[in-house]
This record gives sequence, C-alpha cells and structure tokens, in this order.
Amino acid sequence: MELLHSIAEFFEIAFKNLPNFLPGIIATLLLSILSIVGGTLIGILVNLMKMAKVRPLVLLADIYVVIVRGTPLLLQLFFMFYCLPRMGINLDRFTSAVLGLSFHNGAYISEIFRGAILSIPKGQSEAAKAIGMTKLQSFRHVIFPQAFKNAVPALGNQFLLAIKDSSLASVITITETMMLARQLATATFSIFPIYFDAACIYMVLTYTLSFLLKKLEKRLRVNER
Amino acid sequence: MKVLETKNLHKKFHKLEVLKGIDFSIEQGQVISIIGSSGSGKSTFLRCLNFLEKKDKGDIIYQSKKVENKASSITELRKHVGMVFQSFNLFQNMTVLDNVASGLRIVNKMEKTKAEETAKEVLEKVGMLDKANEYPARISGGQQQRVAIARALAMSPDVVLFDEPTSALDPELVAEVLSVMQDMAKEGMTMVIVTHEMGFAKEVSDRVIFLHEGKIAEEGTPEEVFEHPQNERLQSFLNSMTFS
Ligand SMILES: Nc1ncnc2c1ncn2[C@@H]1O[C@H](COP(=O)(O)OP(=O)(O)OP(=O)(O)O)[C@@H](O)[C@H]1O
Ligand SMILES: [Mg+2]
Repeated sequence: MELLHSIAEFFEIAFKNLPNFLPGIIATLLLSILSIVGGTLIGILVNLMKMAKVRPLVLLADIYVVIVRGTPLLLQLFFMFYCLPRMGINLDRFTSAVLGLSFHNGAYISEIFRGAILSIPKGQSEAAKAIGMTKLQSFRHVIFPQAFKNAVPALGNQFLLAIKDSSLASVITITETMMLARQLATATFSIFPIYFDAACIYMVLTYTLSFLLKKLEKRLRVNER
Repeated sequence: MKVLETKNLHKKFHKLEVLKGIDFSIEQGQVISIIGSSGSGKSTFLRCLNFLEKKDKGDIIYQSKKVENKASSITELRKHVGMVFQSFNLFQNMTVLDNVASGLRIVNKMEKTKAEETAKEVLEKVGMLDKANEYPARISGGQQQRVAIARALAMSPDVVLFDEPTSALDPELVAEVLSVMQDMAKEGMTMVIVTHEMGFAKEVSDRVIFLHEGKIAEEGTPEEVFEHPQNERLQSFLNSMTFS
C-alpha cells in the first residue's frame, strides 16, 4: 500500500511539473533543429571545399574537422561563449550555442557525407562529366542525392546525438530542458520525478526523430530493385 | 567534314605508355570501329577524346578547332560528344525519363516539359518509352544500355563514342543493343565504337582501326581489315577471335 502510494505520488509530481518544461522543450527543439540544419549545411560545404581541390580550401576544411573531432564539445561551447567576445565577436547566448553545436555536428556530418560520396561508383560522375555537367552540377544532381540516401542511417545517428548534445548548452546558461530540470529540481526538491520528466522528453524527441528517419529511408529506397 | 581528330596523341599512366602517338579522324556520318586486344589502349583512347582522361601530348581537334585544355572548352566539347559506357552508368537516383532528359535540363537548361518531350521521343526510338518511369536498377542490362544510348542521343550529339557497349551484357541481350546502334548508323549518326563484336564491326563500319600497344597498327575498310589483314598481329588477333 505504502509503495503503491509513493508510486502514485511520484507520477503525480512528474505529471504536474511537465508543463513547466515547455520553454525548455522549445529551446531544446530549436537548438537541435537549428544545429542539425546548420551542421548539415556545413557538412555539405566542407565536402564542396574538398572537391574544389583548391589547396587552401582543402586545408581549411581538414583543419576544421581535425579540431572539432579532437576536442570535447564542452570546450567548443566554452570557446564560443567566453573566448569569442574577448576577440571582439559579440553574439547573443543562443546564437553562440547554435553556432557551437552546428560547428560540432558539421564536422561529423561532413565525414559521414565524405564516406557516402566515396561509396558512389566512379561511373556515375564519369557519366555526368561525359554529358557535359560541371563538377557542381554533377554533385548536386547525381552524386549528392545518392550519397545522401546512403548516408541517412549514419546521419540519423548523428541527429540523435545532436538532440542529446544540445543539453550541453545549459553550461552556457541557455535555459533548455536540462537546465530547467536542474532549476526545477532545486526549487521543488522532487529530484527524481523531475529528471524522470526530462528523460521522457528526450526519449519522445529522439524516438520521433528515429521514426521519421525510418520513413524517409523507406521513401528513398524507391529506386532500388 | 571532319568532326573529330587527334594529332599525335600520347598518354601515360605513371610509367606505362598507353598511347604512343595516335593520328585519327572521323568524318561526319562515318562509323569507325576500333578493335584490338585487351590492354592495347582502346578505352584510354576513347576516354581521351572527351577528356575523361587527360592526354599528355598531342591535340584533340573538334570541328576543325583545337580543344583548349580548360574546363569551359572541355565542357563545351562534351555537350556535343556523347558517350556510352560498358557498364551503362545510368544515374541511379533518376528515372529512365529523367536520365534521358538530364543533359537537356541540367546542362542545356531546357525547360522541363520541353526536355521531357524530347526525351520521350528518343526513348521511343530505342524502344524504351514504356519504361520511362522505371528506375535503372529495375530494368535489364540491355534495356539500361538502350536508355544510356538515348541519354547520349537526347543531346543531339555530333558524334557518339561507344566503349564496348555490349561487353557487360548477357549474350541474349546483345542483339537489342546492337540493333539500336545499327539504326543510329543508318540514320547517319557519327560513331566511334570500341568493340569485340567482329561481325557487327564488319557490318556497320565504314572504317576499322586495329590498335596494338598504343599505336594504330592497321586501318582500312572492313573488307581490307577483316578479309586481307596485312599486319601480323592483326592476323593472329583475328584468328584468336574466330576460334574463341
Ligand atoms: N586509370 C589507370 N591507371 C593506370 N593504368 C591504367 C588506367 N587505365 C588504364 N590503364 C592501363 O592502360 C592500359 C590500356 O588500358 P585500356 O583500358 O585503354 O585498354 P583496352 O584496350 O580498353 O582493354 P580492354 O579490351 O581490356 O578494355 C592497360 O595496361 C591498363 O592497365
Ligand atoms: Mg577497354
């Protein structure tokens, strides 16, 4: 009886606090979506830079990937938040969080795209060249659509990480889900139900994304035997 | 009038000298077959013609003008020189119709409905209109190659290069592709064909070139090359073909 009661109480508190998470959910969603879109654009840009085969561009792209993959995300966010202003670049907190997360995701996404591009048979770009397409046209109409399709499973994985990594924005004072959870936990002393809420929110977000990606994967398979 | 010429064409891969000075020309409406044993440089020669391989030395001359070694001239040349590959190389992300319309839409920037109209006409010609909305992976090799030919033809090329267009096909699918090529030849298309199909080469060609170790070892009419071969290598090559 005692146990049943405390379980009921647990869910009651969890449920009651859920609406308080709304601003955090919105912030998490915004951070995730913007950094996924930003990261994807950066990933494409990095591959275009490498494809251009212009020395400085290739070098720049390589250095970027090495730095991002070689340092913790936390440090990258600190850099955006604390160091950029010292260098005279003043961004608001949210923008620097989005940029930091985008740069982080972009490096991994660019590597995902690079692998996927390499896996496209050479005959595809040769046929594109032979018909008179420029490098850019071939990339846009032939190579990238095929590479993107092959990359979707790995991209999905990175997108899930992006949602979860957005929680690190709390360290640069962005009030997203994780930050709110900490605040609510301190204010109500109901630590367990509150973090239970936060876990559920991340689960719902990541599960929805996985579901959408599965559907996308299926739709992209129309050209297969 | 000469459509395409090469003068003293040389090509090396690292230290391997593959083409050792090829002088070649093809007239409008001519069909030239290139034969020769494996590794003699047939594909390399063909691929140098549209700059898929960069030549080391010599000139490529299109419509009496030397093609400059810069991206814009090369792209311009490729718009007028079609190519058909051994492994078809249809764009896997596009339907048959989009494949055939791709050159017109993406390269020539033609409006969609107009490009598709032209693409359909060409598909009709190669007998593939009923598969217009299929994806390449879902049709047979012979059908893929006919679509690949249509893709080249849609650009109204001045000359089409074929690199062993039937070598990757099951024997029962070879005939449908050769028949499409025969129709093209009859309609006056200018064609350079690298092939191991000696019967076809004999029937369809105006001239035949025998490539050996990166040089033109013999060239002439099909009659001259196949019935009265002078070069010893050509003789043994032809013997090996008929007995294999
Ligand atoms: N990209 C490349 N890099 C290095 N060597 C190459 C390359 N392409 C071709 N070669 C070599 O050049 C030589 C000529 O090759 P090519 O493909 O032109 O011969 P081919 O006459 O078309 O032969 P096949 O009948 O087998 O197709 C061969 O020895 C081949 O190994
Ligand atoms: Mg070859």
